[in-house]
Amino acid sequence: MNSCKSIRELIDEADNPNLLPFEVSQHVDACRECERFSTERAGLRNLLGSGVRVTAPMNFDAMLAARLAETSNRGWLSWLAPASYFRLGAATAGVAALVLVAQYSGLFSSNLTPSQQATVATTKSKQPERRPSAQPVLDAAIVADNHRQPQRVTPIVNSPRINAGRLSAVTIGRVRPRETVSSDDLGVVLVRGQNGGSDVQMPTVSLGAQPLLYVSAGKQQPSRNVGASF
Amino acid sequence: MTAVTHQAQAIELSGSRSIEAANDHELLAAIRDGDEIAFQELVRRYRNPITNFVYRMLDDYDRAVELSQETFIRVYTSASRYQANYSFSTYIYRIATNLAISELRRRKRRKMVSLFSPYTNDDGEAVEMDPPDLNVLQDEALIANERRHAVARAITSLPQKYRAAIVLRDVEGLSYDQIAETLQLSEGTVKSRINRARNLLKEKLSAYI
Repeated sequence: MNSCKSIRELIDEADNPNLLPFEVSQHVDACRECERFSTERAGLRNLLGSGVRVTAPMNFDAMLAARLAETSNRGWLSWLAPASYFRLGAATAGVAALVLVAQYSGLFSSNLTPSQQATVATTKSKQPERRPSAQPVLDAAIVADNHRQPQRVTPIVNSPRINAGRLSAVTIGRVRPRETVSSDDLGVVLVRGQNGGSDVQMPTVSLGAQPLLYVSAGKQQPSRNVGASF
Repeated sequence: MTAVTHQAQAIELSGSRSIEAANDHELLAAIRDGDEIAFQELVRRYRNPITNFVYRMLDDYDRAVELSQETFIRVYTSASRYQANYSFSTYIYRIATNLAISELRRRKRRKMVSLFSPYTNDDGEAVEMDPPDLNVLQDEALIANERRHAVARAITSLPQKYRAAIVLRDVEGLSYDQIAETLQLSEGTVKSRINRARNLLKEKLSAYI
Protein backbone atom coordinates (compact mmCIF):
# COMPACT_ATOMS: atom_id res chain seq x y z
CA MET A 1 0.00 0.00 0.00
CA ASN A 2 1.47 3.29 -1.06
CA SER A 3 1.64 6.01 1.52
CA CYS A 4 -0.03 9.35 0.95
CA LYS A 5 3.35 11.03 0.61
CA SER A 6 4.51 8.83 -2.22
CA ILE A 7 1.12 9.11 -3.91
CA ARG A 8 1.32 12.90 -3.79
CA GLU A 9 4.78 12.77 -5.29
CA LEU A 10 3.39 10.68 -8.12
CA ILE A 11 0.52 13.15 -8.57
CA ASP A 12 3.04 15.99 -8.75
CA GLU A 13 5.22 14.19 -11.26
CA ALA A 14 2.42 13.12 -13.58
CA ASP A 15 2.75 14.53 -17.06
CA ASN A 16 -0.98 15.01 -17.31
CA PRO A 17 -2.72 15.88 -14.04
CA ASN A 18 -5.99 14.51 -15.39
CA LEU A 19 -4.50 11.15 -16.37
CA LEU A 20 -3.03 9.58 -13.25
CA PRO A 21 -1.58 6.07 -13.07
CA PHE A 22 -3.95 3.33 -11.99
CA GLU A 23 -2.55 2.81 -8.47
CA VAL A 24 -2.65 6.53 -7.86
CA SER A 25 -6.25 6.78 -9.01
CA GLN A 26 -7.13 3.87 -6.78
CA HIS A 27 -5.58 5.54 -3.76
CA VAL A 28 -7.12 8.91 -4.56
CA ASP A 29 -10.56 7.36 -4.73
CA ALA A 30 -10.11 6.00 -1.24
CA CYS A 31 -8.24 8.88 0.45
CA ARG A 32 -10.06 12.17 0.84
CA GLU A 33 -6.93 14.23 1.58
CA CYS A 34 -5.12 12.92 -1.46
CA GLU A 35 -8.21 13.49 -3.54
CA ARG A 36 -8.27 17.13 -2.45
CA PHE A 37 -4.55 17.43 -3.16
CA SER A 38 -5.01 15.93 -6.61
CA THR A 39 -7.87 18.28 -7.42
CA GLU A 40 -5.89 21.32 -6.31
CA ARG A 41 -2.84 20.30 -8.28
CA ALA A 42 -4.86 19.63 -11.41
CA GLY A 43 -6.61 23.01 -11.08
CA LEU A 44 -3.33 24.82 -10.56
CA ARG A 45 -1.62 23.15 -13.49
CA ASN A 46 -4.57 23.79 -15.74
CA LEU A 47 -4.59 27.41 -14.64
CA LEU A 48 -0.90 27.87 -15.36
CA GLY A 49 -1.08 26.07 -18.66
CA SER A 50 -4.25 27.72 -19.88
CA GLY A 51 -2.82 31.21 -20.03
CA VAL A 52 -2.59 32.95 -23.36
CA ARG A 53 0.75 32.22 -24.96
CA VAL A 54 2.46 35.27 -26.32
CA THR A 55 4.05 35.04 -29.73
CA ALA A 56 6.99 36.76 -31.30
CA PRO A 57 6.16 40.00 -33.13
CA MET A 58 5.77 40.07 -36.90
CA ASN A 59 9.10 41.81 -37.41
CA PHE A 60 10.98 39.39 -35.18
CA ASP A 61 13.02 37.90 -38.03
CA ALA A 62 13.89 41.29 -39.50
CA MET A 63 14.97 42.64 -36.13
CA LEU A 64 17.01 39.51 -35.51
CA ALA A 65 18.69 39.79 -38.90
CA ALA A 66 19.59 43.41 -38.19
CA ARG A 67 21.04 42.53 -34.82
CA LEU A 68 22.99 39.64 -36.29
CA ALA A 69 24.44 41.92 -38.96
CA GLU A 70 25.36 44.43 -36.28
CA THR A 71 26.99 41.71 -34.22
CA SER A 72 29.05 40.40 -37.12
CA ASN A 73 30.16 43.93 -38.09
CA ARG A 74 31.19 44.61 -34.55
CA GLY A 75 33.46 41.58 -34.45
CA TRP A 76 36.75 43.35 -35.03
CA LEU A 77 35.71 46.11 -32.64
CA SER A 78 35.02 43.74 -29.80
CA TRP A 79 37.90 45.26 -27.87
CA LEU A 80 35.66 48.28 -27.41
CA ALA A 81 33.41 46.29 -25.14
CA PRO A 82 32.97 47.69 -21.62
CA ALA A 83 34.96 44.83 -20.12
CA SER A 84 37.87 45.77 -22.35
CA TYR A 85 37.60 49.36 -21.22
CA PHE A 86 37.80 48.19 -17.64
CA ARG A 87 40.87 46.08 -18.31
CA LEU A 88 42.52 48.95 -20.18
CA GLY A 89 41.76 51.36 -17.35
CA ALA A 90 43.08 48.96 -14.74
CA ALA A 91 46.28 48.44 -16.71
CA THR A 92 46.75 52.20 -17.13
CA ALA A 93 46.20 52.77 -13.42
CA GLY A 94 48.72 50.08 -12.62
CA VAL A 95 51.34 51.60 -14.88
CA ALA A 96 50.69 55.06 -13.44
CA ALA A 97 51.08 53.70 -9.91
CA LEU A 98 54.38 52.07 -10.86
CA VAL A 99 55.63 55.31 -12.38
CA LEU A 100 54.68 57.22 -9.25
CA VAL A 101 56.40 54.73 -7.01
CA ALA A 102 59.52 54.86 -9.18
CA GLN A 103 59.54 58.63 -9.14
CA TYR A 104 59.14 58.87 -5.41
CA SER A 105 61.76 56.29 -4.71
CA GLY A 106 64.21 58.12 -6.98
CA LEU A 107 63.29 61.49 -5.56
CA PHE A 108 63.74 60.69 -1.91
CA SER A 109 66.50 58.16 -2.00
CA SER A 110 70.17 58.83 -2.10
CA ASN A 111 73.23 56.69 -2.38
CA LEU A 112 75.67 59.39 -1.30
CA THR A 113 78.08 59.01 1.56
CA PRO A 114 77.35 60.78 4.79
CA SER A 115 80.38 63.01 4.25
CA GLN A 116 78.67 64.48 1.25
CA GLN A 117 75.61 65.42 3.13
CA ALA A 118 74.95 69.06 2.88
CA THR A 119 73.82 71.55 5.33
CA VAL A 120 70.37 72.66 4.69
CA ALA A 121 69.93 76.35 5.11
CA THR A 122 66.75 78.17 4.96
CA THR A 123 66.44 81.60 3.51
CA LYS A 124 63.69 83.36 5.16
CA SER A 125 62.18 86.21 3.37
CA LYS A 126 61.15 89.42 4.83
CA GLN A 127 57.67 89.46 6.20
CA PRO A 128 55.44 90.80 3.45
CA GLU A 129 52.03 92.26 3.72
CA ARG A 130 49.60 89.42 4.33
CA ARG A 131 47.14 88.58 1.65
CA PRO A 132 44.00 87.19 3.13
CA SER A 133 43.25 84.93 0.20
CA ALA A 134 46.50 83.03 0.36
CA GLN A 135 46.63 79.77 2.29
CA PRO A 136 50.09 79.19 3.65
CA VAL A 137 49.76 75.46 4.04
CA LEU A 138 52.92 73.48 3.89
CA ASP A 139 51.72 70.38 2.15
CA ALA A 140 54.75 69.22 0.35
CA ALA A 141 58.12 70.18 -0.86
CA ILE A 142 59.70 69.78 -4.21
CA VAL A 143 63.38 69.26 -4.39
CA ALA A 144 65.29 69.89 -7.55
CA ASP A 145 68.52 67.98 -7.56
CA ASN A 146 71.68 69.55 -8.79
CA HIS A 147 73.86 66.98 -10.44
CA ARG A 148 77.01 69.03 -10.47
CA GLN A 149 77.38 69.04 -6.73
CA PRO A 150 75.40 66.10 -5.50
CA GLN A 151 74.23 66.51 -1.98
CA ARG A 152 72.09 64.44 0.27
CA VAL A 153 68.68 65.89 0.36
CA THR A 154 66.14 65.02 2.94
CA PRO A 155 62.50 65.82 2.65
CA ILE A 156 61.37 68.71 4.71
CA VAL A 157 58.34 67.76 6.65
CA ASN A 158 57.97 70.12 9.52
CA SER A 159 59.05 73.39 8.02
CA PRO A 160 57.66 76.47 9.64
CA ARG A 161 54.79 78.20 8.07
CA ILE A 162 55.78 81.15 5.99
CA ASN A 163 53.74 84.13 5.10
CA ALA A 164 51.80 84.00 1.92
CA GLY A 165 52.82 85.78 -1.22
CA ARG A 166 56.51 85.01 -0.97
CA LEU A 167 58.75 82.36 -2.31
CA SER A 168 60.20 80.12 0.32
CA ALA A 169 63.38 78.71 -1.02
CA VAL A 170 65.59 76.35 0.82
CA THR A 171 68.94 76.10 -0.81
CA ILE A 172 71.23 73.26 -0.14
CA GLY A 173 74.93 73.84 0.19
CA ARG A 174 75.09 77.58 0.37
CA VAL A 175 72.81 80.48 0.91
CA ARG A 176 72.08 82.82 -1.90
CA PRO A 177 70.23 86.09 -1.72
CA ARG A 178 66.59 85.33 -1.89
CA GLU A 179 65.99 87.44 -4.98
CA THR A 180 68.42 85.39 -7.11
CA VAL A 181 67.63 81.88 -6.15
CA SER A 182 68.23 79.48 -9.04
CA SER A 183 68.54 75.82 -9.73
CA ASP A 184 72.31 76.20 -9.55
CA ASP A 185 71.90 76.21 -5.83
CA LEU A 186 72.27 72.49 -5.33
CA GLY A 187 68.62 72.13 -4.57
CA VAL A 188 65.64 74.32 -4.26
CA VAL A 189 62.67 73.61 -2.14
CA LEU A 190 59.54 75.33 -3.19
CA VAL A 191 56.67 75.52 -0.86
CA ARG A 192 53.25 75.55 -2.36
CA GLY A 193 51.52 78.83 -1.92
CA GLN A 194 54.73 80.60 -0.92
CA ASN A 195 56.03 81.71 -4.27
CA GLY A 196 56.04 85.46 -3.95
CA GLY A 197 58.15 87.90 -5.86
CA SER A 198 61.37 85.90 -6.12
CA ASP A 199 63.10 84.73 -9.28
CA VAL A 200 63.70 81.07 -9.86
CA GLN A 201 65.61 79.73 -12.84
CA MET A 202 64.45 76.26 -13.47
CA PRO A 203 62.23 74.39 -15.83
CA THR A 204 58.90 73.03 -14.88
CA VAL A 205 58.90 71.46 -11.48
CA SER A 206 56.60 68.56 -11.00
CA LEU A 207 55.68 66.21 -8.25
CA GLY A 208 54.86 62.79 -9.43
CA ALA A 209 52.93 62.90 -12.66
CA GLN A 210 51.13 66.18 -11.99
CA PRO A 211 52.67 69.57 -12.64
CA LEU A 212 52.78 71.44 -9.41
CA LEU A 213 54.52 74.68 -10.15
CA TYR A 214 55.23 76.32 -13.46
CA VAL A 215 58.06 78.76 -13.69
CA SER A 216 59.22 80.52 -16.79
CA ALA A 217 62.44 78.76 -17.62
CA GLY A 218 65.58 80.81 -17.87
CA LYS A 219 64.01 84.18 -17.36
CA GLN A 220 64.64 86.49 -14.48
CA GLN A 221 61.15 87.33 -13.60
CA PRO A 222 58.91 86.77 -10.65
CA SER A 223 57.73 83.23 -10.51
CA ARG A 224 54.07 82.54 -10.94
CA ASN A 225 52.25 79.74 -9.40
CA VAL A 226 49.85 79.02 -12.20
CA GLY A 227 48.81 75.63 -11.14
CA ALA A 228 49.19 73.64 -8.03
CA SER A 229 47.48 70.40 -7.38
CA PHE A 230 47.98 67.13 -5.62
CA MET B 1 35.03 12.61 -37.09
CA THR B 2 32.41 14.93 -35.71
CA ALA B 3 33.13 17.48 -38.42
CA VAL B 4 32.74 14.82 -41.08
CA THR B 5 29.42 13.77 -39.62
CA HIS B 6 28.15 17.33 -39.54
CA GLN B 7 29.34 17.87 -43.10
CA ALA B 8 27.50 14.76 -44.20
CA GLN B 9 24.36 15.95 -42.50
CA ALA B 10 24.68 19.32 -44.21
CA ILE B 11 25.10 17.69 -47.59
CA GLU B 12 22.11 15.52 -46.95
CA LEU B 13 20.12 18.58 -45.91
CA SER B 14 20.93 20.43 -49.08
CA GLY B 15 20.15 17.38 -51.15
CA SER B 16 16.96 15.43 -51.29
CA ARG B 17 15.39 16.27 -47.91
CA SER B 18 13.45 19.43 -47.40
CA ILE B 19 14.60 21.75 -44.70
CA GLU B 20 11.31 21.45 -42.82
CA ALA B 21 11.91 17.73 -42.41
CA ALA B 22 15.35 18.16 -40.95
CA ASN B 23 15.75 17.73 -37.23
CA ASP B 24 17.34 20.35 -35.00
CA HIS B 25 20.77 18.77 -34.99
CA GLU B 26 20.84 18.66 -38.77
CA LEU B 27 19.84 22.30 -38.90
CA LEU B 28 22.64 23.17 -36.50
CA ALA B 29 25.10 21.32 -38.69
CA ALA B 30 23.89 23.28 -41.70
CA ILE B 31 24.13 26.56 -39.77
CA ARG B 32 27.68 25.67 -38.90
CA ASP B 33 28.38 25.44 -42.63
CA GLY B 34 26.87 28.88 -43.20
CA ASP B 35 23.38 27.86 -44.30
CA GLU B 36 21.20 30.84 -43.39
CA ILE B 37 18.02 29.10 -44.53
CA ALA B 38 18.62 26.50 -41.84
CA PHE B 39 18.98 29.24 -39.26
CA GLN B 40 15.72 30.82 -40.40
CA GLU B 41 13.99 27.46 -40.02
CA LEU B 42 15.39 27.07 -36.51
CA VAL B 43 14.19 30.56 -35.61
CA ARG B 44 10.75 29.76 -37.02
CA ARG B 45 10.50 26.67 -34.84
CA TYR B 46 11.57 28.22 -31.57
CA ARG B 47 10.83 31.94 -31.67
CA ASN B 48 7.36 31.64 -30.16
CA PRO B 49 8.17 29.14 -27.38
CA ILE B 50 11.29 31.05 -26.36
CA THR B 51 9.53 34.41 -26.43
CA ASN B 52 6.66 33.02 -24.37
CA PHE B 53 9.03 31.41 -21.88
CA VAL B 54 11.06 34.58 -21.34
CA TYR B 55 7.88 36.61 -21.13
CA ARG B 56 6.56 34.35 -18.38
CA MET B 57 9.83 34.72 -16.54
CA LEU B 58 9.98 38.50 -16.78
CA ASP B 59 6.38 39.60 -17.34
CA ASP B 60 7.79 42.19 -19.77
CA TYR B 61 7.00 41.57 -23.41
CA ASP B 62 9.43 44.02 -25.02
CA ARG B 63 12.34 42.77 -22.97
CA ALA B 64 11.26 39.19 -23.61
CA VAL B 65 11.48 39.79 -27.37
CA GLU B 66 14.93 41.34 -27.01
CA LEU B 67 16.21 38.46 -24.92
CA SER B 68 14.64 35.96 -27.26
CA GLN B 69 16.57 37.52 -30.13
CA GLU B 70 19.70 37.52 -28.03
CA THR B 71 19.16 33.80 -27.49
CA PHE B 72 19.12 33.15 -31.23
CA ILE B 73 22.17 35.34 -31.76
CA ARG B 74 24.05 33.23 -29.25
CA VAL B 75 22.90 30.05 -30.93
CA TYR B 76 24.14 31.38 -34.26
CA THR B 77 27.47 32.70 -33.04
CA SER B 78 28.26 29.58 -31.02
CA ALA B 79 26.99 27.04 -33.54
CA SER B 80 30.52 25.82 -34.14
CA ARG B 81 30.86 24.95 -30.45
CA TYR B 82 27.52 23.18 -30.15
CA GLN B 83 27.75 19.58 -29.00
CA ALA B 84 24.79 17.33 -29.62
CA ASN B 85 24.87 15.66 -26.23
CA TYR B 86 21.38 16.81 -25.35
CA SER B 87 18.37 17.82 -27.35
CA PHE B 88 18.56 21.19 -29.01
CA SER B 89 15.46 22.37 -27.15
CA THR B 90 17.28 21.81 -23.88
CA TYR B 91 20.23 23.77 -25.22
CA ILE B 92 18.22 26.77 -26.39
CA TYR B 93 16.06 26.84 -23.25
CA ARG B 94 19.23 26.84 -21.19
CA ILE B 95 20.50 29.90 -23.03
CA ALA B 96 17.15 31.64 -22.64
CA THR B 97 16.95 30.70 -18.96
CA ASN B 98 20.41 32.08 -18.27
CA LEU B 99 19.57 35.32 -20.04
CA ALA B 100 16.30 35.66 -18.15
CA ILE B 101 17.94 34.96 -14.80
CA SER B 102 20.67 37.50 -15.58
CA GLU B 103 17.98 40.03 -16.37
CA LEU B 104 16.18 39.28 -13.10
CA ARG B 105 19.41 39.70 -11.16
CA ARG B 106 20.14 42.96 -12.94
CA ARG B 107 16.69 44.22 -12.04
CA LYS B 108 17.19 43.15 -8.46
CA ARG B 109 20.46 45.05 -8.27
CA ARG B 110 18.76 48.14 -9.63
CA LYS B 111 16.01 47.61 -7.07
CA MET B 112 13.30 48.01 -9.64
CA VAL B 113 10.02 48.35 -7.84
CA SER B 114 6.95 46.89 -9.37
CA LEU B 115 3.91 49.08 -9.33
CA PHE B 116 2.02 46.07 -8.09
CA SER B 117 4.13 45.55 -5.00
CA PRO B 118 5.53 48.79 -3.64
CA TYR B 119 4.86 47.75 -0.06
CA THR B 120 6.29 45.07 2.18
CA ASN B 121 4.87 43.37 5.21
CA ASP B 122 6.54 42.91 8.57
CA ASP B 123 8.56 39.99 7.23
CA GLY B 124 9.98 42.07 4.41
CA GLU B 125 8.03 40.26 1.72
CA ALA B 126 6.41 42.20 -1.08
CA VAL B 127 2.76 42.79 -0.51
CA GLU B 128 0.63 43.15 -3.55
CA MET B 129 -1.27 46.38 -3.74
CA ASP B 130 -4.65 45.26 -4.93
CA PRO B 131 -7.21 48.02 -4.61
CA PRO B 132 -10.78 46.91 -5.02
CA ASP B 133 -12.18 47.24 -8.49
CA LEU B 134 -15.61 48.78 -8.08
CA ASN B 135 -16.56 48.27 -11.70
CA VAL B 136 -18.99 45.55 -12.54
CA LEU B 137 -17.54 42.66 -14.50
CA GLN B 138 -19.18 42.72 -17.86
CA ASP B 139 -18.14 39.56 -19.59
CA GLU B 140 -15.97 36.51 -19.51
CA ALA B 141 -13.14 38.30 -21.27
CA LEU B 142 -12.63 40.53 -18.29
CA ILE B 143 -12.57 37.58 -15.96
CA ALA B 144 -10.09 35.76 -18.14
CA ASN B 145 -7.96 38.88 -18.35
CA GLU B 146 -7.97 39.27 -14.60
CA ARG B 147 -7.08 35.61 -14.16
CA ARG B 148 -4.21 35.94 -16.60
CA HIS B 149 -2.84 38.96 -14.76
CA ALA B 150 -3.16 37.18 -11.44
CA VAL B 151 -1.23 34.18 -12.76
CA ALA B 152 1.47 36.43 -14.21
CA ARG B 153 1.81 38.32 -10.95
CA ALA B 154 1.93 35.12 -8.95
CA ILE B 155 4.66 33.68 -11.15
CA THR B 156 6.77 36.81 -11.05
CA SER B 157 6.46 36.93 -7.28
CA LEU B 158 8.13 33.53 -6.98
CA PRO B 159 11.80 33.30 -6.07
CA GLN B 160 13.83 33.09 -9.24
CA LYS B 161 15.08 29.54 -8.64
CA TYR B 162 11.51 28.29 -8.42
CA ARG B 163 10.28 30.45 -11.26
CA ALA B 164 12.37 28.92 -14.02
CA ALA B 165 11.48 25.40 -12.97
CA ILE B 166 7.73 25.94 -12.73
CA VAL B 167 7.53 27.87 -16.02
CA LEU B 168 9.48 25.21 -17.85
CA ARG B 169 7.28 22.50 -16.39
CA ASP B 170 3.75 23.87 -16.24
CA VAL B 171 3.85 26.52 -18.96
CA GLU B 172 6.28 25.09 -21.49
CA GLY B 173 5.54 21.46 -20.69
CA LEU B 174 9.11 20.18 -20.48
CA SER B 175 9.76 16.89 -18.75
CA TYR B 176 11.64 16.66 -15.47
CA ASP B 177 14.80 15.35 -17.08
CA GLN B 178 14.73 18.08 -19.71
CA ILE B 179 14.34 20.70 -16.99
CA ALA B 180 17.19 19.12 -15.06
CA GLU B 181 19.41 19.35 -18.12
CA THR B 182 18.30 22.88 -18.89
CA LEU B 183 18.90 24.17 -15.39
CA GLN B 184 21.89 21.88 -14.86
CA LEU B 185 20.41 20.51 -11.67
CA SER B 186 19.65 17.03 -10.44
CA GLU B 187 16.20 15.67 -11.15
CA GLY B 188 15.47 15.46 -7.45
CA THR B 189 16.26 19.14 -7.00
CA VAL B 190 13.99 20.00 -9.90
CA LYS B 191 11.13 17.98 -8.41
CA SER B 192 11.61 19.67 -5.07
CA ARG B 193 11.62 23.15 -6.59
CA ILE B 194 8.54 22.48 -8.65
CA ASN B 195 6.71 21.11 -5.62
CA ARG B 196 7.57 24.18 -3.55
CA ALA B 197 6.67 26.51 -6.37
CA ARG B 198 3.28 24.87 -6.72
CA ASN B 199 2.66 25.14 -3.00
CA LEU B 200 3.46 28.86 -3.13
CA LEU B 201 1.29 29.38 -6.20
CA LYS B 202 -1.58 27.47 -4.62
CA GLU B 203 -1.71 30.02 -1.81
CA LYS B 204 -1.54 32.99 -4.17
CA LEU B 205 -4.04 31.66 -6.67
CA SER B 206 -6.46 29.87 -4.39
CA ALA B 207 -9.27 32.14 -5.54
CA TYR B 208 -8.85 31.01 -9.12
CA ILE B 209 -8.38 27.28 -8.63
